[in-house]
Amino acid sequence: MADLSLPATPTRKPSLLAVGSAIARHRFLSHPKVRLALVLLVPILLLTIFAPVLPMQKPLETNLRAMMQFPSIEHVFGTDKMGRDIFSRTLAGVQISLLVGFSVAAIALVFGMVLGTLAGFYGGMIDRAIMTVVDIFLAFPSLLLAIGLVSVMGTGIVPVILAISLADVPRFIRLQRSQVLSLRSRAFIDAARTVDASQYWLMTRHIVPNTLAAMLVAASIAAANAILVEASLSFLGLGIMPPQPSLGNIVRDGQTYLEQAWWISTLPGVVILLIAVGLHFLSDGVRELLDPRSR
Amino acid sequence: MNYQAPVKTTLLELRNLHTDFQTSTGTVKAVDGVSFAIERGERVAVVGESGSGKSAMAMSILRLLTHPGKVAGGEVLLDGRDISRLSEGQLNAIRGRLVGTVFQDPMSSLDPVMRISKQMIEPIMRNLRLNREQAREEAIKWLGKVGIPEPERRIEAYPFEMSGGMRQRVMIAMALSSRPQLVIADEPTTALDVTIQAQIVEVLKTLTEESGAAMLFITHDLGLVARFAHKVAVMYAGRIVEFGRVEDIFASPAHPYTQSLLGTIPSTAMLKSERLPQIPGLPPDMRFPITGCAFKERCAAAHDRCCVEAPRLSQCGIDHTAACWAPHGLGEGATLKAERPDRPNRPFEPDGSVVVELNALWKQFDTSRKMVVRAVNGVNLRVHKGETLGIVGESGCGKSTIARLLLGLEKPTSGDIFIAGLAQMVFQDPASSFNPKMTIGGIVAEPLVVRAHGSKPERKEAVRRLISQVGLDPAFAERYPHQLSGGQRQRVAVARALALNPSVVVADEPTSALDVSVRAQIINLLVDLKQELGISFVFISHDLLTVRYIADRIAVMYLGEVVEYGAAEEVFADPRHPYTKALIDAVPVPDPAIESRRTSTPLQGELPSPLNLPTGCAFASRCPMATDRCRAEKPALPTHDLARQVACHYAS
Amino acid sequence: MAEYAAKKLAQMLITVLGVITLVFFTLRLIPGDAASAMAGDTLSGEALQVLRDQMGLDEPLISQYLGFLRDLAMIDLGETITTRIPIADLLLRALPITLSIAMATIVLSIVISIPLGTLAAFMAHKGRNWLDNGLTGAAMIIDLMPSFWTALVLLLIFSLGLGWFPASGQLNWNNPGSVALRLALPVIVLSLSQVATLARITRTAVLEVLNEDYVRTARSMGWSEMRVLFRHALKNAALPIATVVGLSFGNLLGGTVIVEFIFTIPGVGNLLIAGINSRDYQLVQTLIVLYALLFVVINFTTDLIYKTLDPRVQF
Ligand SMILES: Nc1ncnc2c1ncn2[C@@H]1O[C@H](COP(=O)(O)OP(=O)(O)OP(=O)(O)O)[C@@H](O)[C@H]1O
Ligand code: SF4
Ligand code: SF4
Ligand SMILES: [Mg+2]
Repeated sequence: MADLSLPATPTRKPSLLAVGSAIARHRFLSHPKVRLALVLLVPILLLTIFAPVLPMQKPLETNLRAMMQFPSIEHVFGTDKMGRDIFSRTLAGVQISLLVGFSVAAIALVFGMVLGTLAGFYGGMIDRAIMTVVDIFLAFPSLLLAIGLVSVMGTGIVPVILAISLADVPRFIRLQRSQVLSLRSRAFIDAARTVDASQYWLMTRHIVPNTLAAMLVAASIAAANAILVEASLSFLGLGIMPPQPSLGNIVRDGQTYLEQAWWISTLPGVVILLIAVGLHFLSDGVRELLDPRSR
Repeated sequence: MNYQAPVKTTLLELRNLHTDFQTSTGTVKAVDGVSFAIERGERVAVVGESGSGKSAMAMSILRLLTHPGKVAGGEVLLDGRDISRLSEGQLNAIRGRLVGTVFQDPMSSLDPVMRISKQMIEPIMRNLRLNREQAREEAIKWLGKVGIPEPERRIEAYPFEMSGGMRQRVMIAMALSSRPQLVIADEPTTALDVTIQAQIVEVLKTLTEESGAAMLFITHDLGLVARFAHKVAVMYAGRIVEFGRVEDIFASPAHPYTQSLLGTIPSTAMLKSERLPQIPGLPPDMRFPITGCAFKERCAAAHDRCCVEAPRLSQCGIDHTAACWAPHGLGEGATLKAERPDRPNRPFEPDGSVVVELNALWKQFDTSRKMVVRAVNGVNLRVHKGETLGIVGESGCGKSTIARLLLGLEKPTSGDIFIAGLAQMVFQDPASSFNPKMTIGGIVAEPLVVRAHGSKPERKEAVRRLISQVGLDPAFAERYPHQLSGGQRQRVAVARALALNPSVVVADEPTSALDVSVRAQIINLLVDLKQELGISFVFISHDLLTVRYIADRIAVMYLGEVVEYGAAEEVFADPRHPYTKALIDAVPVPDPAIESRRTSTPLQGELPSPLNLPTGCAFASRCPMATDRCRAEKPALPTHDLARQVACHYAS
Repeated sequence: MAEYAAKKLAQMLITVLGVITLVFFTLRLIPGDAASAMAGDTLSGEALQVLRDQMGLDEPLISQYLGFLRDLAMIDLGETITTRIPIADLLLRALPITLSIAMATIVLSIVISIPLGTLAAFMAHKGRNWLDNGLTGAAMIIDLMPSFWTALVLLLIFSLGLGWFPASGQLNWNNPGSVALRLALPVIVLSLSQVATLARITRTAVLEVLNEDYVRTARSMGWSEMRVLFRHALKNAALPIATVVGLSFGNLLGGTVIVEFIFTIPGVGNLLIAGINSRDYQLVQTLIVLYALLFVVINFTTDLIYKTLDPRVQF
């Protein structure tokens, strides 16, 4: 039957490392959206990491001789009514934002993945129990759920992360469940079932790998969203409380002086927007890259 | 065919038509210089494999292509007028009025949220200048003509309330009601069952004949062409490679591609023991420019000139042109030769051991509305060692449910299933049968890993062996499913099914998603494996000619029951159950001589809903011979008898 | 139909009950208890006990819960704890304001986004992508702008800078013109992100429909592109769009809290923040339940409406 054979293009078998770097060079880093995302995110990330060693005023340091100053070389984003450096406060706020974004995405991803897979795969009672609770949580508009939860749990970073995660986890469960449901009837699952593959095998080999892409995309959107929600909560005075800077409460502080010192409120907002846009491009790029048809 | 063209007047003429699709990976030259003409009242069939540009060509005529498709050059003369440069507004006066169109998928071609009346009446009002009342009358008249029962009532239905066959009738009524001079039908029956297909083709044929409309009929089914067309255009890689009268094309095909295509179809005339000829390889990727003849890689007659210079259509008989440098293609009157005549399709000799046995098998599904779908109703079947059982029947008759029951993917409602050894499966849709995140090697190895067979190197070796056994290069193990063609994927599916040395392989429509030229490759592969390994097969298909060729025994199913069972050749040569007769009658045979001699009318009606089954004979509602006894008393089938069995009170 | 509505209604009631239960028990999770949390360090032991009695905190949990349910069922919303004003009175004043903002936003954003999204889809379908790309890009960025920041920027420009809209002041309902001016900026801020979402959804839904076979059928019948767009494409796209309008109402409710806070508008959102700041848990729990109820009811209604409009859905 060799005469039937169609030649396959010979594939080398390069080392894992080489494969990794090739992928990085050719697919990930060369994707235009990913590049744009990195152009936005990497500088912000670097500045945030190196903020403590940069030659500028510390976030909490006041300087009564330089109050409400217009942006300058010395104070890139200007200063506030106590002469604090808005740029260094903003970078400190970004640190919080990133922490919140990352934590929420991770929590939502893990819980969404586990509970959504269980609900979708097993159906029946487990599904009904999980989805009833999910529906109850989804009945709250998400910002309001977060507001309600921080009002109970109190202010500070941990309550904020928990509150936003609680609002996001149900959405992730739902997404994962619907993915699992549509995968469950695919022929390759049937094929594995005909050789009596265990449920653990089906979930880990077939279901999770095929749902991960969409979940990662959702997670990076959730991170962007969490950053916005944290900022909103802090702006309303319900999230991170001063003097600890956060992007939301810096804007809140500046609100009173909007007319005299517009930069206090507006410039940190631009940074939030840049981060959110960067994360969105990243998720878009990741989605396009993970789509097997693009390979 | 006894067709005599009246005074020849050309209705439609294409001159050097070019159509491109601008994609991110390159320009696809879907139509690459097509010229031909259709006379008034003539039915021209366009055949060719998927992707050969048939639809693109047809849609280019009225510029119905959507972005990124674009007519890139050439002329379209309708009644002598070049319509290729008309504005959209001017074309709209032609669309639907002078030229009607029927599309492939009746399920999606009608607006789902609009009543049939609305979709039909308004074009009639516009085109025939009638008022609403008259247009409604007219619409009802046409619905009646295309065979919709109770048209006055059904005209107020929504499309989702109709079956696929009924919707396609509506589409035809819509296309014909404005009395067009030309009807373009793009695979109008591909999505339908053979029996329904026969009805639809009949309707199209009668009605266009009645109105004198010409027809451009696109299909990949050569049997339909023989039944239906006056002339045939064979397309390959965006060009017409052969054009001529249907008798000439079938009797003396001149182009190697046509010759090969005709050879790959199992026919009733062919002996079962003959090996099926197959065309090697795949059609070219049309994103890349082609030098020389597009068919050269797959052509047995290819020579030096073919590689440098593209042949043009040239006269090779009366009204017969072909684009090939070799004067008679593969040879005078030749069709493709089987390349391994030493490996015939040997018939099976039973040694008595039973591999699969189904006893009084019932399967019901509960639907959301507390109704019960009775998919399988008391089926008894046996498969012996080394035997291939073919299961045929219309869609919805329970074929696939039996397959899933056999594999343990569904639990029977009652009855039992005995399988000596292991049953494995080859699925219909090569696209969804593989986990897109796994390599081919991983996919083939999965059964071995799950069942913990052998060590890792042993499994690796087994995978290599399996992949070459199905005729692929072992290097394919490194690839991902989306990097394979449909035929290659189906080979991988077979390799996976063989991994655990099953005693029976259930193949549910394994070739229906494949093109004709690739289909023969897979059928030959299955025949070889069956003989090499002595495995039993259950081969489920609605393609009766293929089943006849590959199966030793056939079970004909209707509404979840086996109505006839027997040796494949016998059932085909002498069908006894009225349903089997109708089914075999409906299959178009790729031979215009046979087709033109056919007299029988196609089976009427459609498969009743499996929600409320009749008490008597399941077939009574459509059976031309049904009597009161049939409606009251169920004809039984003797269980487990190798001899011929027929479930009919009046079987001849 | 009636059966479907009844089933949906039952489902909705279960959800609402779940919401109430969740809110009630979450509030009892406050460390210490609500009374001491409220009082902070300001009250002595005795005064604290009085407050506890007032709030019924010493009763068994289950009877507190049943009492809460009973009161809600009888629309007896109780009084604020600190100021002892009937919550119902507060709501009667605040709710119309918030609802006006929300409704104005919905209308405005639908009027803008649906034509915009449809046009973008239509052009993209024909291979002219600039509007589509522009719209998708702009929609993404607008969607990601924190609404409090957008509000401040608009406030800075249009109220403080150009002086077109008043930034503060009483809402005088006897002078509708002044109310409209006063609410204009909040509505614009909220509409921005609504338009971004809806235009994007409309674009996707219409584009998808334009690729459907029945659109090609209509074209093959000789209907003009405009007619096909309006008769077939929009009608079919309306269903997915309606669902999203319902769901995005949730975001809108969240947004009202922020704009009311910034523009000092005495709506439900400001009431909520005031309640949280004064730790008036009676008020907070009532308001959160109210928001959820609004959201659930809106979604229930859109679901029912579009199910009724879609002939394919059989009841
Ligand atoms: N929207 C599109 N974008 C890009 N390429 C396309 C598009 N539609 C068709 N093509 C390409 O044009 C070529 C001809 O396609 P066409 O649909 O006309 O083939 P066909 O003969 O009708 O096939 P089938 O039998 O599958 O209907 C193919 O190579 C196909 O991939
Ligand atoms: S031109 Fe050459 S390659 Fe092409 S079909 Fe004819 S003989 Fe074959
Ligand atoms: S039993 Fe009667 S109805 Fe059934 S197939 Fe035979 S003749 Fe027809
Ligand atoms: Mg086609």
